[in-house]
Amino acid sequence: MSSSEPTPLPAHLDPKTYPRTHHDPTQNIYITLTYETLDANTCLSQTASPAAGANILFLGTTRDTFEGRSVSQLSYTAYPPLTLKTLAGIAEAAVKTHKLEGVSIAHRLGTVPIGEASIAISVSAGHRGAAWRAGEEVLEACKEKAEIWKREEFVDGGMEWRANADRDAEGRIVGSKGV
Amino acid sequence: MPETFTIHYFATSSQYTSKNTELLPAPLKLSALFGELEQRYPGIAHKVLSTCGVSLNGEYVDIEEDGETVIQTGGEVAIIPPVSSG
Repeated sequence: MSSSEPTPLPAHLDPKTYPRTHHDPTQNIYITLTYETLDANTCLSQTASPAAGANILFLGTTRDTFEGRSVSQLSYTAYPPLTLKTLAGIAEAAVKTHKLEGVSIAHRLGTVPIGEASIAISVSAGHRGAAWRAGEEVLEACKEKAEIWKREEFVDGGMEWRANADRDAEGRIVGSKGV
Repeated sequence: MPETFTIHYFATSSQYTSKNTELLPAPLKLSALFGELEQRYPGIAHKVLSTCGVSLNGEYVDIEEDGETVIQTGGEVAIIPPVSSG
């Protein structure tokens, strides 16, 4: 940011306007964008149900390297007017497809220290097959669509904005661009 | 107070403009948006905007198909680069 033109911080970048949440009690959907530490138990308890025999929790945690370069710090920004809608749509689609008892998606924003969770997803279903499948599907849909951006700062200097479309679920480079 | 709309930049688009947000003159047709930005930030259309989505007042728009749509005074536009959650 140039310091000569002090523009007020837009609300979506102001931590004081968070957490931003969406809750649909009829489908037991919880969406959270927060600058606070993510809590796995909160996430799991949100989707818990007497009708659920399978509860899957995924925690995505921040890595300390990218292509061999040491990452000193990571931070995330979001645009909640779109992000909340997109995440709710992903959760609703998963409930419908896999007959889930509940879905919770929480993403952390701002600086996330190395090794801490940046995303937490919990899905609950009657049986494990649907829950496993839904958990992976919800995560991959979030990575593809959610309007959230990761910035990596490197120990050797410099910083880069990441794009998920460049990598598959195994961390491999997709397409010819990165070869 | 001049008539303006708000535009928000994220990730590579905020890096290129060195801004998170700014006010631009309204009204403006969507079809003229990228031209307006290219004038202010030479090279942005090819280097950044070609891979970005655009939203107007919280809904995605297609700057070609919805080109005749007018961004009104007080409107909120966002430039959406490829995402990287998780």
